[in-house]
Amino acid sequence: MQAAVGTAHVTHGHIHPPPDTFIKKYIFSQDHKVIAVQYFITSGLFFVLAGLLAEMMRAQLASANNTLLSPTTYNEAYSVHGSAMVWLVIIPILTGAFGNLIMPLQIGARDVAFPWLNMFSFWLFPPAGILLFGSFIWGAPEAGWTEYPPISLEQSFGTSMWCMAIFLIGVSSTITGLNFLVTIIKMRAPGMTWTRMPLFVWATAVTAFLSFIATANLSAALLGLLIERTFGVPFYDPAKGGSPVLWQHIFWFYSHPAVYIMILPAFGIVSEILPTFCRRPIFGYKAIAYSSVAIGLLSFAVWAHHMFTSGLAPWVQLPFMILTMIVGIPTGVKIFSWVATLWGGNIRLTTPMYFVLGFLSTFTFGGITGIMLASVPADVHEHATYFVVAHLHYVLFGGSVFGIFAGLYYWWPKMTGRMLDETLGKIHFWLMFVSFNATFLPMHWIGLEGMPRRVSTYDPQYQDTNLFISISAFVLGASMLVFAYNAIKSTISGREAGQNPWGARTLEWMIPSPPPYYNFDDIPVVLSGPYDYGKPLPYREIKADLSYKPIV
Amino acid sequence: MATHALTVDDATYQEVRDQRLLGFLFFLISDVIIFSSFIYGYIYLRSTVMAWPPPGIEPAALYMAGVNSIVLFGSGATMHYAMEFFKHGDRRKFVGYMIATIILGLGFLGGQAFEYFNLLHAGTSWPSSIYGAAFFTLTGLHGFHVFIGVIFLITVLIQAQRGTYTQQRYFGLTAGALYWHFVDVIWVALFSLLYVWK
Repeated sequence: MQAAVGTAHVTHGHIHPPPDTFIKKYIFSQDHKVIAVQYFITSGLFFVLAGLLAEMMRAQLASANNTLLSPTTYNEAYSVHGSAMVWLVIIPILTGAFGNLIMPLQIGARDVAFPWLNMFSFWLFPPAGILLFGSFIWGAPEAGWTEYPPISLEQSFGTSMWCMAIFLIGVSSTITGLNFLVTIIKMRAPGMTWTRMPLFVWATAVTAFLSFIATANLSAALLGLLIERTFGVPFYDPAKGGSPVLWQHIFWFYSHPAVYIMILPAFGIVSEILPTFCRRPIFGYKAIAYSSVAIGLLSFAVWAHHMFTSGLAPWVQLPFMILTMIVGIPTGVKIFSWVATLWGGNIRLTTPMYFVLGFLSTFTFGGITGIMLASVPADVHEHATYFVVAHLHYVLFGGSVFGIFAGLYYWWPKMTGRMLDETLGKIHFWLMFVSFNATFLPMHWIGLEGMPRRVSTYDPQYQDTNLFISISAFVLGASMLVFAYNAIKSTISGREAGQNPWGARTLEWMIPSPPPYYNFDDIPVVLSGPYDYGKPLPYREIKADLSYKPIV
Repeated sequence: MATHALTVDDATYQEVRDQRLLGFLFFLISDVIIFSSFIYGYIYLRSTVMAWPPPGIEPAALYMAGVNSIVLFGSGATMHYAMEFFKHGDRRKFVGYMIATIILGLGFLGGQAFEYFNLLHAGTSWPSSIYGAAFFTLTGLHGFHVFIGVIFLITVLIQAQRGTYTQQRYFGLTAGALYWHFVDVIWVALFSLLYVWK
């Protein structure tokens, strides 16, 4: 027994007393739960700003030859909207916020492996946001979120600010990735083997691996772009012997895995919520876990499918087309496992469950259009049309953002100690789900008919559909106000949640809400997997020694 | 002798050291990826042109880089011995070999500065052509790593002299040595790519 206490005791890595000053407690906090809340608040703010840019674009596109925004402003709006949504909203919320909040709790750790680095990587993030949105002062980037050279070489100083912003995010993401990976490998509670880990932890592990492998490439590409823009050193400029396609190769070698950084944690969230509200073990635990690993590995071998129209030789295109389609297999394994979990489940239709069901339908649809785009002949036709815009939003909004809201409604009680209002949550869901589909579904049609993306005016034949899309987009934006109201209402007068309001079985629900500073007063010892509903709880506790010992 | 290091039991120390070591290895892997991206870029750019270096551009000299490489690999050897002497408790030789490593590292940087000076004199500058761009970026990135490494080793040496490390607990020294060997290994790749590959 004593030996077990010893092993358990050392798993928390750093030991120091709880912070006592306001600054150490809430600003420069090293507690993973506080850092998670910091991420939620900052990313939430950037979500509002990036969303307002989208509404500006839809206002411009409401009629065919509108002059509300100048072409330049329109270009700046979509470039910053895309960059911000990817790097300041979806990735930080899924890894920085959810990863920080949930992963250490689910593995029974007292914190992440390197709390100081965790704080450091959060504090790289607000300056990045300020740089990105501040670039409007000097003229924001205009070449989309991918900033292809040579266009990006000729833009104003704002593009250099974009480079620095994304570089900071890249460093932050790399550090968080290696921190999480060490935490998951080294700090799991006694008895928590790899196959007893909750599926969200599996997803976070693969995401962390992708973050720190892929993001380093992005840093290299950005460094090159920044050097070329500042010192005129030729890498990408064809006029000086460089190659613009080189940027595309390195950029997509990051950004394709990044697509899975943006969806795998959402898969993890769905895999946690489904069994809880179906009251039965998740179907195919190992299949879901290993398919995440398969997706992670495949993600490095498909980057050139973003470059089918950049003049690649056909013998290069073919393997990338096949490999891209193969990604559909592990993803399909997940989808079918989730549906099989629903089958015969004792389903409780709570708000998190609504969002999960919304996720399943919209993400699957986005996956299918992904297979269409993977096919080279189809891609040549669909590339640079609204079809791609529609596909991307079905995956990143219908997938990631629905997953984020599912996770928010699910873990809100754990994070704040109070419940969100279920009725308001369901109103939020239906408004969001209907207006989301009304916004992005018609984009498939106008895309296939040939309406190009990234233009501020268009042929009047698309006028009626675009007006409909714009009105839906405003409703979609407004639906977020319901959530904001719900969040404020819950903070002021929400019902007390208690430690396990949903009757879930993973470790984070075994401690009070919100969790105390050291998470676990007594060290949990894990005895079986996390999803065996109807059996005794899968853990026991042993008394821990909580005296504070400094470690050099 | 730092007394605070002794307040934690050895099992705890080993757990923490293992975490830090793993974290540091992951950091080095991400650094390898950054170099790989630039190396990939080098090969890609080189494959797009007929002649390398492009006509009229003076290439970097093999013999000078060769001498410099011997200096750098020598510093890897002295680092190895410094580590061994530390483990065996020979503090005097440890300090000697550490100083030798730092001096050899500085020597490498000096050699690189000399090489840069010659190249710039011959008209091969950073923005002059894709050859200059690729050469100065890769060697500059490596030189920057050597520079950071020298500061790292000086810090480690000062900490060792202050008694931060004991014969059982010396993670900072391990990290410094790993980083130094990593810089060495990267140089093998860069040397073959930039100088030997004609």
